[in-house]
Amino acid sequence: MSWLNNKLGWGLPQFSKINWRLGLDLVGGTHLIYEADTSKISESDKNSSLEGVRDVVERRVNAFGVAEPIVQTQKAGEHWRVIVDLAGIKDVNEAIKQIGETPLLEFKEQGETALTVDQRKEIDTYNLSAETKAKDLLKKVLVPGADFSALAKQYSEDAGSKDTGGDLGFAKKGQFVPEFEKVLFDQLTDGKIYPQLVKTDFGYHIIKRLATKGTGDTLEVNGAHILIKTKSANDYAIGEWRGTNLTGKNLKKALVQFESNTNAPQVSLEFDAEGAKLFAEITTRNVGKPVAIFLDGTPISTPNVEEPITDGKAVISGQFGLTEAKRLAQRLNAGALPVPIKLVSQQTIGASLGAKALQQSIKAGLIGMAIVAVFMLAVYFLPGFLAVLALLIYAAVVLAIFKLSVFTPWPITLTLSGIAGFILSVGMAVDANVLIFERTKEELRRGKPTAIAIDEGFKRAWTSIRDSNISSLITCAVLMWFGSSIIKGFAITLAIGILVSIFSAIFITRQFIRLISNWQWTQHHRLYGVRRKTEQQ
Amino acid sequence: MEYKIIQKRWINYSISILLALVGIISISVWGLKYGLDFTGGSLLQIKFVNQAPATSEQITSTLAPLDLGVILAQPVAEDEMVLRFKEVDEKTHQQIIATLNAKSANSQTNAKIEESSFTTIGPTISAELKQKTWGAMIIVLLAIILYVAFAFRQVSRPVPSWKYGVAAVIALAHDTLITVGLFSLLGHFAGIEVDSYFVTALLTLLGFSVHDTIVVFDRIRENLKKQLPGTFLEVVNHSVNDTIVRSINTSLTAALVVLALYFFGGASTKNFALAMSFGILIGTYSSIFIASPLVVDWHLWSMKKR
Repeated sequence: MSWLNNKLGWGLPQFSKINWRLGLDLVGGTHLIYEADTSKISESDKNSSLEGVRDVVERRVNAFGVAEPIVQTQKAGEHWRVIVDLAGIKDVNEAIKQIGETPLLEFKEQGETALTVDQRKEIDTYNLSAETKAKDLLKKVLVPGADFSALAKQYSEDAGSKDTGGDLGFAKKGQFVPEFEKVLFDQLTDGKIYPQLVKTDFGYHIIKRLATKGTGDTLEVNGAHILIKTKSANDYAIGEWRGTNLTGKNLKKALVQFESNTNAPQVSLEFDAEGAKLFAEITTRNVGKPVAIFLDGTPISTPNVEEPITDGKAVISGQFGLTEAKRLAQRLNAGALPVPIKLVSQQTIGASLGAKALQQSIKAGLIGMAIVAVFMLAVYFLPGFLAVLALLIYAAVVLAIFKLSVFTPWPITLTLSGIAGFILSVGMAVDANVLIFERTKEELRRGKPTAIAIDEGFKRAWTSIRDSNISSLITCAVLMWFGSSIIKGFAITLAIGILVSIFSAIFITRQFIRLISNWQWTQHHRLYGVRRKTEQQ
Repeated sequence: MEYKIIQKRWINYSISILLALVGIISISVWGLKYGLDFTGGSLLQIKFVNQAPATSEQITSTLAPLDLGVILAQPVAEDEMVLRFKEVDEKTHQQIIATLNAKSANSQTNAKIEESSFTTIGPTISAELKQKTWGAMIIVLLAIILYVAFAFRQVSRPVPSWKYGVAAVIALAHDTLITVGLFSLLGHFAGIEVDSYFVTALLTLLGFSVHDTIVVFDRIRENLKKQLPGTFLEVVNHSVNDTIVRSINTSLTAALVVLALYFFGGASTKNFALAMSFGILIGTYSSIFIASPLVVDWHLWSMKKR
């Protein structure tokens, strides 16, 4: 028997390092059933689009950091479903929110809507009066001794610089539109006002150079201006964003990064080949104009395109904190769902409820085993004792299989029903022993020597053991097919239990009994629960 | 000493017919009380933290504005309550929790309501489960009939093997009917529900119950081969007596563990354990007192016809 101790001795410490794979009814968690709306998809594409849904859901789920999320597809009649099991998750509501939400990323450009005749007329009239206004203003500014900054405060239509008297601050070259910059940097000297109106896309500018610092590359000029705005076709098109072909599906990856100056979080986007080509086209035709990035229908960032971007990279710098930036990147990476899904069933179990259930089940299992052990000892004496030993080995083997299955492609997840199956299998495992011992007793009563009686007992009981267990295995097979995860868990553990119990009765108990039946003191029939009287019958 | 089990079989038949009748009447009058997974709907278990639990009426009236259909609230422990209502979406689920907390949460005493578990099952899922349950029942029964017929293919004198199979299946049907009947009574009088766990128990019983019957038939097969003296009836009675102790003992060990599960296990496996332990008892009874007598009667009947 020392080999048994040895076996358990080296067996247990190593196993204890492997974690059980516990179901969500034991550790808490949620079981979600989503139904995919495949009504708009042709029959042949349904399978692949459901796989697509599963992949996307899986990626979204992985972002929660749940230990072993299970995402499966299921087809039941005409219903296409995705089943999500999240064991040990803390914030189920957040998870449900994120699984179901479809982040829709779109890139839009300003539409070039043709203007109506009236609109054109309006623009022309407006610009004409703006020109007159600007010319009058220029005269006032050029009057010697005129206060440029007071006039700017009064007349400038540039909201950003108006209140500071048109002062634009020190700036290097490259900050202004070319027409403006040429005048400010090249034509003017400090303290001078350019004597003509400068026309840019924004309108008419009256420009004054205030001060200079630095030279060469570090040259900075402090300019001031008064702006009289003009209108262009763009003013009418603004707000009418036009979709482009570039969407989130062209996204290769999204990353969180930080803006180098302000350290504000940004999300950088990298497009796939097709996306890069589309993005290059969009930026080429929109130089100087804004391109909007829409998320779920709202513009989150509308950067101006300064030059065509051909390397397929873009940055979203919205008003968001690090957490939102991270979530946005995650959601963009997860991509959009190919078909909409709807939550049709959920089962959420709190962690404390699960822990309580686990504790109760373990207790019930131990008590059950103890009762069976007492029963076997009381009824079958010596072989009963051996059967109890075999039962302990049986339990160790079954539990080891549950644990080690983690390393196989078919890991067994222990659920409440699975533990119930295991407990039931303990009761059934001793059945084989009962059959064998009853048979052995019978042979002993007929006056056969102990060793032969034992052998006969095993041999003759075998057909009953086989036949009766096969019927239970048939049920297990049907239960596995039956489907729902509760029942599957039960059927799998029960089936494993039955298979191991056959092995245990035939090999382990038998070896034990053979071993001791050679000893002198074990020959007494009373040790087998056979009374002397019956023996002589 | 031999018990005259087969000779006094009319007693066995009477008991079984009586039990079966009670079952049939209960099922047809009261039906079964189906659990959430078969009816669809929602089940919410809440825990009152740092506060005295509200009464069922209070909870029901708090939730009345949310249009949850009929709300059944039932305390399950000192500080916990189970609520049942119609199937809801996630938004409504969050509203329910928020509404309950708005009514009772108190930041000073740290009182709040915690969700222990929540289940909501849509109508398609529950309908499907019902359908699958019937499918599984029929398949298990067919598979067992085939298997029993196969297992007894070698016993053919004086009774053909398929008759053993039919007798075993009648015993099975008997066990199932009486177990379902009991749950119909329990559902009506004690509010015990029939859920997926119950179905699992029932299907497992189909396999388990035939287990004992096979042990008895196996012995009949063996004794017939040995050509023991006496009529067929006597040989069968002898075989039943030979195996009665092991039939009872094998069932006892299984019944003991499921009883442990019933008394010490968690709430959700209670119905399973109850159905299993009762089913094991009735299954053992039928394999001793019903299955073998049926084979004998069938034999005697066909002898008479000849």
